[in-house]
Amino acid sequence: MTLDVAAVVVTFNRADKLGRVLDDVLAQERPVDRVVVVDNASTDHTAEVLARYADHPKIEIMVLPENTGGAGGFATGMARAYEQGADVVWIMDDDCYPHPGAVGALLHGHAAAEDRMGMRLPFACSVVQWSNGDICEMNNAEPTWDWAKLLVHGQQNVLVNSCSFVSVLFPRWAITQFGLPLREYFIWFDDQEYTRRLIAAGPGVQVLNSTVTHDLGVNRGVNFGDVNDGNMWKFEYGVRNEASYRWHREDPFAAARFAQRLWQGLAGGNVPWRLRKRLAKKFVEGIRFDPQPTFPRTVL
Amino acid sequence: MNGLDLPEPHQGGPLFTITTEPRLFSPLDERERRLLAGALTYQALVHPGVDVRVTITRANGSTPPSLTDQATQRVEWPDHRQVVGTLGVLSTGQDTPPTGTKDVVVDLGGPVEQLSGLVRLPGRLNAVRNAVRARVPVAFDALRQRQTDRFENRRLSRPLPRIGAFERPEHTAGSAQPPAVLFGMHWLELGGAERWAAETVRMARDAGLQPIVVTDRDSAHPDVVRDVFDGALVIPLTHPMTSDDESTFLRALFDRYDIRGVHVHHCTWLYQRLPWIRAQFPGTRLVDSLHVLEWRTGGFVDIALRLSNVIDEHHVISPQLRDYLVDRQGLSRSKVTLATLADLTVTAVDQPHDAIGDDGPADRPLTVAFVGRFTQQKRPYLFLRLAQTLHRQLGDRVRFVMHGDGELGDEVRRDHARRGLQSVVEMRTPSTPVSTTLEEADLLVICSDNEGVTLTSFEADAHGVLVISSDVGSQASVVVEDLLVPRHPGPLLAQTTDLVVDLARDPDRLAALRAAQHDKVAAFAALPRARDWTRDLYERWNS
Repeated sequence: MTLDVAAVVVTFNRADKLGRVLDDVLAQERPVDRVVVVDNASTDHTAEVLARYADHPKIEIMVLPENTGGAGGFATGMARAYEQGADVVWIMDDDCYPHPGAVGALLHGHAAAEDRMGMRLPFACSVVQWSNGDICEMNNAEPTWDWAKLLVHGQQNVLVNSCSFVSVLFPRWAITQFGLPLREYFIWFDDQEYTRRLIAAGPGVQVLNSTVTHDLGVNRGVNFGDVNDGNMWKFEYGVRNEASYRWHREDPFAAARFAQRLWQGLAGGNVPWRLRKRLAKKFVEGIRFDPQPTFPRTVL
Repeated sequence: MNGLDLPEPHQGGPLFTITTEPRLFSPLDERERRLLAGALTYQALVHPGVDVRVTITRANGSTPPSLTDQATQRVEWPDHRQVVGTLGVLSTGQDTPPTGTKDVVVDLGGPVEQLSGLVRLPGRLNAVRNAVRARVPVAFDALRQRQTDRFENRRLSRPLPRIGAFERPEHTAGSAQPPAVLFGMHWLELGGAERWAAETVRMARDAGLQPIVVTDRDSAHPDVVRDVFDGALVIPLTHPMTSDDESTFLRALFDRYDIRGVHVHHCTWLYQRLPWIRAQFPGTRLVDSLHVLEWRTGGFVDIALRLSNVIDEHHVISPQLRDYLVDRQGLSRSKVTLATLADLTVTAVDQPHDAIGDDGPADRPLTVAFVGRFTQQKRPYLFLRLAQTLHRQLGDRVRFVMHGDGELGDEVRRDHARRGLQSVVEMRTPSTPVSTTLEEADLLVICSDNEGVTLTSFEADAHGVLVISSDVGSQASVVVEDLLVPRHPGPLLAQTTDLVVDLARDPDRLAALRAAQHDKVAAFAALPRARDWTRDLYERWNS
């Protein structure tokens, strides 16, 4: 049976990179059946780039009236792909360049892993590299305790608990059962929350021979010691969202451990006290913040 | 073949012969003749080689037929029955003379018009429940929907048990008997599932297979007289039958026909016998057609899931059912086939008519229609309340047509009169073609609390009628998102009122939504068709 594969690309003010992303998606050897591009109300010349693809038979462009963040954009795009009848939804950011064969390897690796495990697996992600070929530190999937279970049988697959939204595919059933990413998170930790939500059905899988490049300015993971006035807004979302997740989806002890990690990171980076106070407030906000998943409609 | 002019199957010849000429004290109509033929077939098959002496009775009032159940074995009957005839029959295919006689009493039931009424469960609690429902239907409905919410949540969070899988035994050699399909139906009455089931019966005959139809629900079976059942072997079962008779009956069917496949349409009795059929007749393919997910009771979908390990293929008519079976219940994608009924009532998705016409609704009243059976599921009482509210707000700028009848018919007509809606809501019975109402309508309101995909939505779109629907089943597949309203009665009435008021004032929006609806229906219609899937299936079965 042939799967209907939809790619979802969420973009915001990355006109210079978006064209290459779409070209690389469309050039996949195993062609995708449709591409949903969600423009989060970009203010640069994204519209001009997208105009070049407007008549492409596989591309649907959704321009949102306001920026809904990565979380809102992925939720919107995944819902659209689902409504159009996609069997598999493959999602990525607007600075993710899939390497040749990336989606084919994901599909094949996912199917082989399911076959070997004898169960359905809720997601499959690529290995994310930085521009120089190194591993992209921001996008490391977290392996399970038995991560090598498939490797020992010759598969290029590692079992994982979570991954980022940079080249990850979700089978339709996972979206039916678990819903969409939480729009309310806006940005940061939406991918962690979502993939961890899905592993209630079983582990995810990282397919080692599916690779993409994440075209970030610097190759550095999330580190609370890096907080400054310029990036503070992102960390505020991150702290609120992770506090919410740890408290409501895990337990208060997990939230306390996160608080400790946050404190140590801020202290280690000598982050100014006024910023630490703002993040502490966001932590408290996260305890009161408990958005619930929404589910897409079945249309086709 | 007989003085009664009883129908015969179109392949394989009659399954019984007349041994004692009929004596009729009262003529039988065509429906009764066909019911009698089914009863005689059953009685002859479960008493092979026995001269079966049949007393035929007819009941007064709302008594369903008794054709195959244990009561047929008793030679006494209630006072409200009258004898209409006698005859004797013997199963064919016997080489030896009859080994004895057996007396049975077959009751053809009461008149059709008295049997299509509300099925009222016995008991004081149910009487109270019915009284409350009749007096305060909206409050009753609101509670019912809250209960449905709980059922829905529970159903989504629980896996369903399955019967054990077993290896399909070795295929038995083909038989020299006529090739056939055994169909299971709920009853032979109006309904979307029944309409599709009847169509498959026709397709089986067209494919050169003898259709054998069993039903398992008490009914007058008014549709048994339809042309589509000509030449089919129709046996309306009435329960309870003895377990000996059940297996004898089924085995006799398999002896007399080469049953290539069983196609179950909403028939609990046949579903529950599939494991036995799979064990005893492994060469027979087993498929079913599923229409609607019943959140409250599980319905046929749950039965199908429970028995899925012995069913070769599930046909579903809506994407919602596909997602439920595959995504939620974990059935293999290759085992579930989505094939829609989009073309069952309309031949093609044509360009919509310009229902509003050149003068537009500003120059004439906006016509809002309800088309469907008057049943609890369709909630006609909500439409009456909607009409009352809208008439208050829009006056003569809007008119209403209510088209249908059914078990709530009397209540609806009383409600219609009590609310003083005689001049506001025009009532039409099924004697008027649905197309007449749709030709006049601008908007169709579907208030149902559960559906698969309503065939009426396709008909409405083909007539250029915009559909407002409760967001149930797969209605989202054919109704524009803006026009989907909640299932709960309060929000349904409020949002539908707002929508109609807005559309009455904004013909441009109405036209734009109609175009969007047509695109959506066309996308749905582009999905695989049930007719194509079935044709291929039956051709494979007959090859």
